[in-house]
Amino acid sequence: MKTYEDLAGDGGSNIIEQVEALGEKLRSRLDRIKYKIALMSGKGGVGKSSLTANVAACLVDRGHSVGILDADLNGPSICHLLGVKNSQKLTIDDRGVQPGAGIHGIKLMSMDMLLSNPDSPVMWTEEADATAVWVSTMESTALRELVADTDWGDLDFLLIDMPPGSDRIDNIRSLIPELAGVVEITIPSLLSQHIVSKSIAKNNKMKVPIIGLIENMAGYTCPHCEKEGPLFEGENVETLAKQKNIPYLGKIPFDTRIGHKTDSGSLYYIDNKDSVTGKAINLVVEKVLKSIK
Amino acid sequence: MKFLCIPCDEKMETQVDGIMPEEKKNLAMKFKCKKCGHSIAMLTNKFETEFVSKLGVQMGGTAAEATEAPMGVMAGALAEGKDELKKGAPTEEDIEWTEEAKQRIQKVPFFVRNMAKKTVLGFAKEKGITVIDAKLMDEVREKVGM
Repeated sequence: MKTYEDLAGDGGSNIIEQVEALGEKLRSRLDRIKYKIALMSGKGGVGKSSLTANVAACLVDRGHSVGILDADLNGPSICHLLGVKNSQKLTIDDRGVQPGAGIHGIKLMSMDMLLSNPDSPVMWTEEADATAVWVSTMESTALRELVADTDWGDLDFLLIDMPPGSDRIDNIRSLIPELAGVVEITIPSLLSQHIVSKSIAKNNKMKVPIIGLIENMAGYTCPHCEKEGPLFEGENVETLAKQKNIPYLGKIPFDTRIGHKTDSGSLYYIDNKDSVTGKAINLVVEKVLKSIK
Repeated sequence: MKFLCIPCDEKMETQVDGIMPEEKKNLAMKFKCKKCGHSIAMLTNKFETEFVSKLGVQMGGTAAEATEAPMGVMAGALAEGKDELKKGAPTEEDIEWTEEAKQRIQKVPFFVRNMAKKTVLGFAKEKGITVIDAKLMDEVREKVGM
């Protein structure tokens, strides 16, 4: 009896040919983007998305073309941060799905752009019996389509706003093997550092390059007198970076204006470059650029 | 996955015509031995069907077909996706799909959706029907039996 290898082709399903074509499509998108950087944290609520958007604005200010992939499928926030409304029509043409045009010229793609209503949840079936395996597989496919089917064009940077936790990095790494690296973000609290240390350990084990660690919400800056004060109790984040043998990229104090700008659909960095926090963002970007170039 | 006709020791070919699966349900794929004409069906449950569907490929499809529908898997699977995303259903110039028919064809698993569309369109053309509605799709399914 003949074996698998004896049978030429794949029986007419043409699946291999199609999988290869999808791979080539993904590659053709990625080849036009110089640097791909994931911003992540094992912990939620540390300001990843807000920082990603402000880092993007800082990169644009330095003359770079920048896109953001919102990889937080179930809790997307990049559209809100960059002023792309849900009511905006999705444009699909021969080149693919056109990315959202965010403020400051930042391109973006997010699940929020694909959903019919602002409060629509990401559900892969209207039936209630979707299994966890099914959902997980669907999310991997969704990420691939968000990267490969978006017409990013030529970009200097694609920033990937990761969801909380460290599980999604497996998908991103297989989709984008040439990832320039990940930027880990923590706040000073011990709990956050504890969880982020797991994320760092995982990336080290997976040999995902770590660009460095950012200490976000490192105290607050008074918007009136620019005096700094403590916000969270915790240990020195620089010590965690040293322990994990990764670069410490700096501390970014919280400025209440970040929240105001977020809610008004504007970006803090654009209007506050010379503030203490604005300068801190700029310094972090400087270090990231030095690290990857 | 390949299927072998044991008596003939020949590869069985995927049959890409005459498929009209139920939306989001179990699926049967037909394979036929070119030498003796014997046919078999591979039956998958809805979870297996969905799993293959997520690859973003179509049974018997081409490389061009796999890449021509941007975000095609999400378009069919996202419960509350935008209408623009779901406009992937092809329309023949002189054949119209009702809204309900369009929605139903979108719910057919991605990897057999094109085959199902071709089956319905072929049936409509044969009968001189110019509007494809849900009733016609039921009729096709009953006739095709798959």
